[in-house]
Amino acid sequence: MTLNTKDRNMSADLLTVQGLSIAYGPTAVVHDVSFSVAKGESLALIGESGSGKSTIAKAILRLLPHGEATATGRVALNGQDVLALPEKHFRPLRGRELGFIPQDPASALNPVRTIGAQAHEAAALLGETDPTVRRAKILDVLEQVGLPDPARVYDSYPHQLSGGMLQRVLIALTVLPRPALIVADEPTSALDVTVQKLILDMLTELRRELDISLLLITHDLAIAAERADSLVVLKDGSVQESGPSFEVFASPTTDYARSLQADVPALHPDRYRNQRSTLREAHDGGSRTEAVSSPSPGPQIDVQGVTKRFSAGGKDVLACDGVSFSVDRGRTHALVGESGSGKTTAVRLLLGLEQPDGGDIKVAGQSTSGRSRADVREIRRHLQLVYQNPFTSLDPTWRVGRIVREPLDQFGVGTKAERAQRVREALEAVGLPSEVASRRPAHLSGGQRQRVAIARALVVRPDVVVLDEPTSALDVSVQAGILELLSKLQRELGLTYLFVSHDLALVRQVADSVSVLRRGLVVEDGPVEEIFHRPQHPYTRALLEAIPLASVPAEPTAGKQLAKATA
Amino acid sequence: MTSDYKRFALTRAGQAVVVVLLAYVLTFLVISVLPGDAITNTLRDPQHGLSEEDIQRIVAFYGLDQPVIVQLLLSLGRFLTGELGFSLQSNLPVSQIVGDALPSTLTLATSALLIAIVFAVVIAYGAQYLPGKWAAIVRSIPSFFLSVPNFVIGLVLIEFFAFRLHSFTTTDPNSPVATLFAAITLAIPVSAPLAEVLIASLDHESRQEYALVARSRGLSEAKLFAKHLVKPSALPSVAMVALIVGELLGGSVITETIFGRDGIGTVVQKAVTGEDQPVLQAVVSLSAVVFVAVNLVADLASPLLDPRVKLREKVGA
Repeated sequence: MTLNTKDRNMSADLLTVQGLSIAYGPTAVVHDVSFSVAKGESLALIGESGSGKSTIAKAILRLLPHGEATATGRVALNGQDVLALPEKHFRPLRGRELGFIPQDPASALNPVRTIGAQAHEAAALLGETDPTVRRAKILDVLEQVGLPDPARVYDSYPHQLSGGMLQRVLIALTVLPRPALIVADEPTSALDVTVQKLILDMLTELRRELDISLLLITHDLAIAAERADSLVVLKDGSVQESGPSFEVFASPTTDYARSLQADVPALHPDRYRNQRSTLREAHDGGSRTEAVSSPSPGPQIDVQGVTKRFSAGGKDVLACDGVSFSVDRGRTHALVGESGSGKTTAVRLLLGLEQPDGGDIKVAGQSTSGRSRADVREIRRHLQLVYQNPFTSLDPTWRVGRIVREPLDQFGVGTKAERAQRVREALEAVGLPSEVASRRPAHLSGGQRQRVAIARALVVRPDVVVLDEPTSALDVSVQAGILELLSKLQRELGLTYLFVSHDLALVRQVADSVSVLRRGLVVEDGPVEEIFHRPQHPYTRALLEAIPLASVPAEPTAGKQLAKATA
Repeated sequence: MTSDYKRFALTRAGQAVVVVLLAYVLTFLVISVLPGDAITNTLRDPQHGLSEEDIQRIVAFYGLDQPVIVQLLLSLGRFLTGELGFSLQSNLPVSQIVGDALPSTLTLATSALLIAIVFAVVIAYGAQYLPGKWAAIVRSIPSFFLSVPNFVIGLVLIEFFAFRLHSFTTTDPNSPVATLFAAITLAIPVSAPLAEVLIASLDHESRQEYALVARSRGLSEAKLFAKHLVKPSALPSVAMVALIVGELLGGSVITETIFGRDGIGTVVQKAVTGEDQPVLQAVVSLSAVVFVAVNLVADLASPLLDPRVKLREKVGA
């Protein structure tokens, strides 16, 4: 499946991939993939984990591990088959013709060498031998990518810079030798949303200015549609659908592309809304489930003016500065903020993992401060946490049955038979077959693991579940399944959720009310509709603008003009 | 940075002194609780032919008629001023006995350390860059080296190189060639853990994303290795080298015996069999000083080699 031929004839193809298949030993992971990128054009490969998108990127860059992976087919750069070239002839193309921006900026630079020392390697590709000229060029490009103090960055070690700054450095090093094509593998998925937008804007601008083509690898359809001229949708190593972005995005023809599109939170803000309103009706109608024991009139969680100070390196940092929020029973409240906003600290204070310096936390009307450990422990039993990353939050040596049973053992609930029964019920509630109980986490997918983590939280029948970025480590389609499950559980069990996230589009789908946190302060809070339609604080507005495709995607004609302008 | 580093260096040096003092006290206590009154047994041995006056003098010198704690303080005070006492067997000053034996052992241990490092580096880099089958063979060398006892290696080397090939003679154990083979004997088992650490960290570093990104920048394998991989993969080995010094000190006793060299190993052996408490105390304390000093150097070097090491944390630890 190639892009339609009319497009290709309009300008010379820079990169042509024809019938590319890649196998690790006997296991084929990419099957007969074809696409092409015209000069100055950008193309996005979209797919979920395991779709083969990164493998294709590495094959084009010839960075697949030697002897482990075999690539067949044709990858032509300017008409030259790069797969067939001997290493000696391919190496001069690296950096000069083909640039690479990796996924995780924190690990993409050598930790024991300065930025400057590594930048000289990129500058050397220009053929410049005079170190002072090279240094000047490096400082220029560092300034060009928007780094405020290039000389300081030049002398820094990677660990002294933030993730966003490192990604700017990497982009600078990639564009410095003026390659014809940049392959960017999830260049912003490790970054905060506002930083992501700045980086993508900067990359788009540089690309236009320097006439560089882009092959963007991403799992995020919204980013792909916003940033690329054409899309290739991959699933299990095969092309599902391809074509100009606006076409694929506006009217996907395959089921898979349609479901991907349906799972983008920004496009469907009301996806879970209907389910939740039925829940509220059910509540108001008095047909509450028996799980709701004492119908106290006040809020289920009430955090008032909580302050927490950490001292790091002689400096005091206010992680929480008078944070207040409250959540009514059966509702979902979201804490939104970027890294360092204090949302994690707020959660740790609520769970009793840290003690606040000031303020009060009430759970089900009971204050947690000034109580004995045993009392707080009993309160905490009604508060359970589902952690961000199910790949690290489950003990890999334990079987699922034991993982889910652990809180029961901890709190000494019931007899052995009763515990086993409750584990079965919890697994059933999260939609896992009972035989999963005898498996270990390694044999489960990411979505299944997160279901196990949810079952572990539910097994003690809590009133409140704290969801700390519960889907950020998962693919979009898996995320949709988990959110649906959470919404169903809330409806059935009358659970109260505290949903912690940096993703406003997601928050809009699941939450009733929101607190926006920045540097330990609540800058804005209120009902979700209010915040989204009438944001008051500039920071909230910046967060909202950073959502890819916050507005409806550009109409076809505008898209075409854009593509022409860049070509 | 510099004031942080000074603070860190002073803290570490202070800790090192404490460790040496504790080692001294522990050795003293262990020797004094051993069954048998070592010193008086030796003194009363008629073979020594000491007069009652001599014995009284020695008893007074070591404070043998006083409680153990007084003896300890007396001995510790002398140790701190560099006074190591006299051998009970030969009546020679301990400092002279140790001083005579030290150069031979230092030569042996230093050359063994250098050889071990060379072996480890060659093995690790072979494991990384040789083609498949050869790399697998090279990778198994460290476990082979570890499983062969020191004395077997020594005897095989002597049999083969001294008796068959006549590369050296066992009658002149201090000749350069004989020293070389003794050092190889000592180096082989010691190089194994070092090679394993190097192999593991090279494997780790070459799979890091930064290595991939550097490759995408068009670096050749040789340049990638020299500019990116050597330093980070050597960092864990620095601490390992410091630990290895301990093994060298222990291994030298056996190696010196096999090759018939006179060194600290021989001194220790004689002192143990002859219950020569002052000599034993001095040698064990000196070993502790050497071991602690080498580890101190490795500790002080690590923040200079690795910019990520946070000094404040290290001081607090």
